Amino acid sequence: MDLKEKLISSYHQTQKDRPKDAFHALREKAISYFEEKGFPNKKEETWRYTSLRPILKEDYQLFPKNENTLTQQDIAPYLTKGLDSYLLVYVDGHFVENLSQPIKTKTFTATSFSKALQEKEDKARIEKYFDQIAPKEDRDRFRSLNTAFTQEGTFIHVERNAVVDKPIQLLYFSTGKEDALLLQPRNLVVVENNAQVKIIERHQSLNENATLTNAVTEIIAAEHTLVDYYKIQNDKYTSSLIDNTFVDQHGNDSAVFVHTFSFGGKLTRNNLRASQNAEHLNTTFKGVTILEGNQHVDHNTFVHHLQPNNESHQDYKGMFDDRSHGVFDGYILVDRIAQKTDGYQKSDNILMSDRAIAHAKPQLEIYADDVLCSHGCTIGQMDKEALFYLQSRGVPKKEAKALMMYAFCTSVLSSVTIPELKAQIDGYISSKLGVKMDFDSELID
Amino acid sequence: MAKYTEEDLKKELETQEYEYGFYTDIESDTIAPGLNEDTVRLISKKKNEPAWLTEWRLDALEIWKKMKLPTWAHVNFKEPDYQAISYYSSPTKGAKYNSIDEVDPELLDTFKKLGISLEEQKRLAGVAVDIVMDSTSVATTFRKTLAEKGIIFCPISEAIQEHPDLVRKYLGTVVPKTDNFEAALNSAVFSDGSFCYIPKGVRCPMELSTYFRINQGGTGQFERTLLIADQDSYVSYLEGCTAPSRNENQFHAAVVELIALEGAEIKYSTVQNWYPGDKEGNGGVLNLVTKRGICEKNAKISWTQVETGSAVTWKYPSCILKGDNSVGEFYSIAVTNNHQQADTGTKMTHLGKNTRSTIISKGISAGYSQNSYRGEVSIGRNADNARNFTQCDSLLMGNNCGAHTFPYVELKNPTAQLEHEATTSKIGEDQIFYCNQRGIDEEKAIALIVNGFGKEVLKKLPMEFAIEAQKLLEISLEGSVG
Amino acid sequence: MLKIKNLHASVEGNEILKGIDLEINPGEKHAIMGPNGGGKSTLANVITGNDAYEVTEGEIIFEGENILELDPEERAQKGIFLSFQYPVEIPGVSVMNFMRTAINAIRKSKGEEDISGKELMALLKKNSALLGIDLKFLQRYLNEGFSGGEKKRNEIFQMAMLDPKLSILDETDSGLDIDALRIVADGVNKLHRSDNSALVITHYQRLLNYIVPDFVHVLVDGKIVKTGDKNLAIKLEDKGYDWLKLQEA
Repeated sequence: MDLKEKLISSYHQTQKDRPKDAFHALREKAISYFEEKGFPNKKEETWRYTSLRPILKEDYQLFPKNENTLTQQDIAPYLTKGLDSYLLVYVDGHFVENLSQPIKTKTFTATSFSKALQEKEDKARIEKYFDQIAPKEDRDRFRSLNTAFTQEGTFIHVERNAVVDKPIQLLYFSTGKEDALLLQPRNLVVVENNAQVKIIERHQSLNENATLTNAVTEIIAAEHTLVDYYKIQNDKYTSSLIDNTFVDQHGNDSAVFVHTFSFGGKLTRNNLRASQNAEHLNTTFKGVTILEGNQHVDHNTFVHHLQPNNESHQDYKGMFDDRSHGVFDGYILVDRIAQKTDGYQKSDNILMSDRAIAHAKPQLEIYADDVLCSHGCTIGQMDKEALFYLQSRGVPKKEAKALMMYAFCTSVLSSVTIPELKAQIDGYISSKLGVKMDFDSELID
Repeated sequence: MAKYTEEDLKKELETQEYEYGFYTDIESDTIAPGLNEDTVRLISKKKNEPAWLTEWRLDALEIWKKMKLPTWAHVNFKEPDYQAISYYSSPTKGAKYNSIDEVDPELLDTFKKLGISLEEQKRLAGVAVDIVMDSTSVATTFRKTLAEKGIIFCPISEAIQEHPDLVRKYLGTVVPKTDNFEAALNSAVFSDGSFCYIPKGVRCPMELSTYFRINQGGTGQFERTLLIADQDSYVSYLEGCTAPSRNENQFHAAVVELIALEGAEIKYSTVQNWYPGDKEGNGGVLNLVTKRGICEKNAKISWTQVETGSAVTWKYPSCILKGDNSVGEFYSIAVTNNHQQADTGTKMTHLGKNTRSTIISKGISAGYSQNSYRGEVSIGRNADNARNFTQCDSLLMGNNCGAHTFPYVELKNPTAQLEHEATTSKIGEDQIFYCNQRGIDEEKAIALIVNGFGKEVLKKLPMEFAIEAQKLLEISLEGSVG
Repeated sequence: MLKIKNLHASVEGNEILKGIDLEINPGEKHAIMGPNGGGKSTLANVITGNDAYEVTEGEIIFEGENILELDPEERAQKGIFLSFQYPVEIPGVSVMNFMRTAINAIRKSKGEEDISGKELMALLKKNSALLGIDLKFLQRYLNEGFSGGEKKRNEIFQMAMLDPKLSILDETDSGLDIDALRIVADGVNKLHRSDNSALVITHYQRLLNYIVPDFVHVLVDGKIVKTGDKNLAIKLEDKGYDWLKLQEA
């Protein structure tokens, strides 16, 4: 039985035990959509550079048991050092309250779905917003799969005028005793007028078994909001991730930033979808990707300009060593009504080995005439003269290279607004590049 | 006088009549519509082809039957009924001419209307013309002059008779029968086209030129062009296309293969002005073309195109940079208006070391048209120090059209460098006011700005073509003040 | 030549010009000075017919004809020239091509034949020499990559080429060093005749040392608050515009 068949039959088997709640209809719709479309293959335009075959062949356990044995010490290495934050920890798909610091105040909530659904107000909010973002393009099979199966995840709600005082960290661990594990967590972030929140999300496997995470995050941003979302992808080389993020900006003057840092994992696919449904919005997607071995990362972005006077920025830097494969497939769609759109897309890549591959596909589809849209893409190598210059000042080659690569990423790193997080990312970059360096010393304590 | 606004311009664009929309009333031999093995055999027989070619065509037909029209292009049209098309139509008079005088006067008149009267062409210094009307090549000028240099320039049907070894050696080597749906179809049914061979070390003394015209209703045109530039030779080749106005879609699926052997250089320029359909989007030519060239060591292929016609254009003149140090270039202006749709660009495949490619694409969309650039640059494992520069700019006129950019980049060699830039913008009101203030009216100002926008491409065209292209740009975007 | 009566104009609903009266006769040079935001550039744009500016009241009479209803190119064809404060770039269009297009458009409006290549060449040579412009410069694309000084010099070059009746120079001195300023002013002075006029718009007095005006008008808050001769400009440079405002009050 292949994975698709297995998923469909186990869905129907387990449906009996699930309550016919408000989400039942959504689940049914989702599973039939998935059944109709199945997993994507390379013949499809948006999947032409990423083959799912190596990760779909595993015999995944779909419903892992809740038998957490993790302690504070076990999870400490994966937290952002020195960062005072709200923390939500999940192990094998289950919320672990004694490792978490959920929060529920008058003005904001950050907790697990299971807990939130016990509160009347939050339950109503989840019912209102869950799985309601509808991107124009038909690219949401993994979302459908997640909708059909998900049982747990994070619910964040920020009330009007509130600013969440600390970043919220979401940590999803897998420890499965099973040979292979498929996890499908869900995050729902609802930000009301004039509110602000910062979120860090991470998926981490703690063993060497094959793990596949199909995560979905929905961000709904109202007027004059600021959402700053960071994704740390530094997982084991046996773990794969399909990360699906949907952004709906429906109030004027909202700004949503998503930074993705991809260093680890076997195969990572980031689907980022934004719908600009109001005016004077800013949607920014940025990423740094450093790969080695046989790693594969595919950033697939889609920004839909549905209203006038908006801007969107995309800036991705990739460095690829060994036999790794990096993909940037970006799409800006500007509707007829979306005059005065300022859309910008950039993908810069460096190949570090003669077996590595980079693909870039920055695309523009424009129906409004008064716009300023541009994209740029470079693929190249390190500036040898600059490298020599550094070496001639006594910097060893390896460090000199690392320094230049760090500089190459500056435009992405500079917009990270949490200093502790930036230090953590710097640390990952230096270890990924095999050097021990402080790139940005003033931020390291 | 009322103010001439962009709105007025748009209106005028819509009412702009197609200048070449006349039908030449000459007798022709047209076979019954339909496509099967018998059709292919009949075409091959009519052309008196050798058995290997008949088999080659039949093989292509089998391949084609198993394929489907691809859907990835950003265009929307009704797929032709392949059984309703006549695959062979030829003027009965004048299949063979010994001199211009024998050519049907109606036909000569057609050429005059096209602005390429042979007499005139003869007087013009150094342009040899081959004219392909519907499916048959009807006139080739200057053959003698060319023959003295050992240059072969003739209809491909003749080349098959007279130079079968050359044709057999190269036909289908750059665009194989299996390449794509349209190419397979063309391979099965192509009826004529131009053939050109430039011997070693020869620099072709004049521009070679082919005019294509679809005349008969309900016919498809499937020309096949094969151009071989032997070692260290040079040729500049021009191609122009027109078709009469008709309500139904006319189908055009051509294949062009260029072979640039070691040290050779081919410059291939196209001005495509097939009938674009009326302002409601009825009729017009479906122009689905496969053009590709291969460069051996130190060779160079340069594609320049000005695309203003056709209801649907789907074409990607490409270069396979196989040999070390080879160079590929693509310069394109694509103008779409009313309901035209164009999905055009190029593919640069870098295989050899130190290969270079440059892509300059300028898209201008007006009316209700859709104009897409689609290009792929791939740099293979062994393409050390390969370089690519790509720039594609789009200009939008009016708010009912679309301008899209779909670039694909693939890199497998760490020493290669690639740069891609793209912008989309509209004509600035401040630019128009500046021109107005110098006494230039809005319409002329727009023409001036559009021509400036396409300058980098226009200046790559040979002189006579550049003037024609500029005129075409003005016709398709400007119209006369009414 | 030019008679402006009670001119009111606004941009996006804000009234900028609040009743301007101005008369320029053939052979005269006028200067308009004033603080930034006082309406100097607006006046230039309104005279030349930029439709971003709306005339709400008043008249502009040029050679006996009310030109308010005319398109910008018709005004240009009648002989009104504006040297722009910020000349725009038009990529791909060479200075030479642009000039030929403009000259022929103006000629056509008068029912004249297109200029011949020979005539055009002679004119280009004469005027580029006047402005100290290298002929190669004429092949460059209009204002693209020009330095500030080159742009301004190019504006005056175009003025020489088109030989207008009324030239409006909007902040022509900005971006010019003293040497370039001298050349440009020299050009303007040489082009000056008894049958044409100039309107020089400037914030600073320095330009007026080189292009000496017959009249100086001070435009503050949409109105001409004072008119005098060249000495008024010197006084203004000395005391600043606040001096006038104080005097007003």
